[in-house]
Amino acid sequence: MNSLRIGLAAAAAILAVLTAPLGAQPSAERPAPRTADGKPDMSGIWVATGAILLFEGEEAFAAARAADAAAGRPPGNSGQVPPYNPEAEAQRQYFLGRQGIDDPMARCLLTGVPRIKFRPLPFEIVQLPDRVIMLYEIHHAFRIIPTDGRPPPEDAEPSYLGESVAHWDGDTLVVDVTSFNDKTWLSGVGTIHTEALRVTERYTRDSFETIRYEATMEDPAVLTKPFTIRETFRLRPDERIREYECIESNEDIQRFERLLQGQPTEKAP
Amino acid sequence: MRRLVILFLLGLGLCAGRLATAHHSFAAVFDGEKNVTMTGEVVSVEWMNPHFHFSIDVKDAGGTVTRWRFEGYPPNMLVRQGWQRDETLTAGATVTVEGWAARSEPNLGAVRWVTLADGRKLAGGPPAGTGGR
Repeated sequence: MNSLRIGLAAAAAILAVLTAPLGAQPSAERPAPRTADGKPDMSGIWVATGAILLFEGEEAFAAARAADAAAGRPPGNSGQVPPYNPEAEAQRQYFLGRQGIDDPMARCLLTGVPRIKFRPLPFEIVQLPDRVIMLYEIHHAFRIIPTDGRPPPEDAEPSYLGESVAHWDGDTLVVDVTSFNDKTWLSGVGTIHTEALRVTERYTRDSFETIRYEATMEDPAVLTKPFTIRETFRLRPDERIREYECIESNEDIQRFERLLQGQPTEKAP
Repeated sequence: MRRLVILFLLGLGLCAGRLATAHHSFAAVFDGEKNVTMTGEVVSVEWMNPHFHFSIDVKDAGGTVTRWRFEGYPPNMLVRQGWQRDETLTAGATVTVEGWAARSEPNLGAVRWVTLADGRKLAGGPPAGTGGR
């Protein structure tokens, strides 16, 4: 059943490319829906394109990439290394050399923004007139993002996901995220940041099936210039957010302790 | 009693190990260049978060049995790959497992694929170093 569905999706994507009229921009994708107040509706269950490989397999991933190419969407670049200053790059190399053993996510700590967007688990967006709610399957994390023009809270404490407020720039939802702690990584292993991190996310529902996403990170203490990561999120209406519990049987924590003490990672059988 | 056909391959991965930038812990514990493929009898299955585990007994040509333990997807991902708790993988079944061995610990692996007795091949975990384990 699964492979049939993936095969049909791949065939549909190829057909869309072949039958698209020359010069048509974008391809024959269904238009984005709108809410009663005329805003593009971001509501739905979404998966990052880069995660489709794990989520649904190679055929679905290839179909997604083909659809993006046909519509002129750039491929995701979440694996790109941020432009660090020499001190920060030295720290990143240190963490790389330790094979990612220091990854906060491996210890089940909340994953920050934008890294949480690229995990191979879906997230749901619920768009209301005065706020947008993002529900992430990973870590059962959530963000409640006001869109009514209020400023960031003045009493914010540094936090893993930061404080988000949003406004509309035409049809693009722009989310400003501040008040981060310095305990998360931006994307890959060792991609550190400080509490001065500021992330500007841009969500554009450019077709019924897709949201075009950009996250620009500014952190002058470690980055030599602003750094932007792009990705396309894909609608998965038949999915639902399931339970994910990170602590229950996370053996990594004990393994890491043993590794750091130079011991084997497991007891002998 | 059916004879277990044992196949154990330890070889170089293609470029799996170089994808380590994406994963939180794969590279710390497992070696993306230590590919393993083996067939054995399922001893136990732990359907747990954030990783499921199972153990298989693998018999070599001389009849020596080695117990391997594998770690893979959490239940929320397993069901999306077509797994059913208590039905897909059961004690006593013979399965073929493809994955990667741990760096320092003997007989511990990260599972990628499980081929069941009926020929179905299901993803049990992500590619090396890509996250989602």
